[in-house]
Amino acid sequence: MIHQFSYTAPTELTDLLTLLETAGSGAKLLAGGTDLLVNIRNGLVKPSTVVDVKRIPEAHAIMSDNTKGLRIGWAVTINDILKNSEIASSYQLLQTCAHDLASYQVRNRATVVGNIVNASPCSDMAPALLCLDASIEIASSKAYRTVPVRQFFTGVKRTILEPDEMVIGITIPIQSKGTKGKYRKLKRIQGHDLGIIGVAVAQVGDHLRIGVSSAAPTPVATGALPLDISESEAIAAVDALISPISDVRCTKEYRRFMVSEFTRRLLAEVRS
Amino acid sequence: MRINVTVNGIAYEKDVLENKTLLRFLREDLGLTGTKEGCGAGECGACTVFFDGKTVNSCMVLAVEANEGTVETIEGESTGGMLSALQEAFDRHHAVQCGFCTAGMIMSARELIHHTPHPTVEQIQEGLEGNFCRCTGYEQIIEAILDVTGGYTAKEELIHV
Repeated sequence: MIHQFSYTAPTELTDLLTLLETAGSGAKLLAGGTDLLVNIRNGLVKPSTVVDVKRIPEAHAIMSDNTKGLRIGWAVTINDILKNSEIASSYQLLQTCAHDLASYQVRNRATVVGNIVNASPCSDMAPALLCLDASIEIASSKAYRTVPVRQFFTGVKRTILEPDEMVIGITIPIQSKGTKGKYRKLKRIQGHDLGIIGVAVAQVGDHLRIGVSSAAPTPVATGALPLDISESEAIAAVDALISPISDVRCTKEYRRFMVSEFTRRLLAEVRS
Repeated sequence: MRINVTVNGIAYEKDVLENKTLLRFLREDLGLTGTKEGCGAGECGACTVFFDGKTVNSCMVLAVEANEGTVETIEGESTGGMLSALQEAFDRHHAVQCGFCTAGMIMSARELIHHTPHPTVEQIQEGLEGNFCRCTGYEQIIEAILDVTGGYTAKEELIHV
């Protein structure tokens, strides 16, 4: 890489947050590095300091209890999600989406929080987190706040995060425990690829939610839909949410068509 | 920054620039050129190595991140000049043509076999989805892995040659 930067790896969260406050937008947080390091290499990002967030032990914690639900620390990787037995039995939709994210090696490094903070429209974890009604925990050296994931994204690669803030965890509420769901990603090849579109259909308690990636400036999801909603009503609800574009991968018309088609297929699968 | 890192069982203490990738560190500073740089963006898997026991694309890891860590590369695969069983299977099945992807393939295959000692073809395909090979068409690589894990049932040798 041509661009030079300093590197620091704090071992306490308070040090990390203080550093973030002092360095402001000149600092970039390094978790899995699967986006950041490629972006630095390509000259798209030029941080003065790279702050490694993985040396703090609590960053890697996955905690589950019967009142608060599931909490994922900020450096939990996609493969950590896939190897967790509690998530396998109670929050299966997370694994379904995680499984479709990139390749094995990338999943060993890429983090769930990174996938959200990066705020790409094609985030694979976002449809699951939206369907599961996740909350995003945000901290700075001065304050702490929790925001529903549906308010977190503000545009392509944009979030509500201030320069001195970072995401320190994601919580899935206990009400979403036991959610059944399916995710399908349209790709150019069978192997790992960025999605052309992705659709998740989830049965959360007594209602349905449908999440979509790569079909709007941000990942989107419906509100709670009745369980017995008709196929055409469900498709209409999803269609109203999206605003796809044409790009190198396909046209906006094809995206819209496939979102409807995947919604129809997944609805049938989830109900069967 | 000065880092301490164990690579293939050997402890190194080295000064390294913060912006150097683990891949470049292995190749340029330690001379371990078995690991290749393909795309440099986590797509092709040619640079796959073990870092703290897990496979990673070393083009997307900073060398400084490996401080206090352990790394294993293709150079650590054989012992005392003897190929590993996996390497021998790659040889036997002609799973190597130009060889550029092979180091990464072996790393990913080893990780797969570690987690799934008797993989199906589908599991092999998934385990190698992050490793591109432009020569073989993958069939020989899949055969080699099936062979070393006891799942190879072909009646004749060299069916792809």
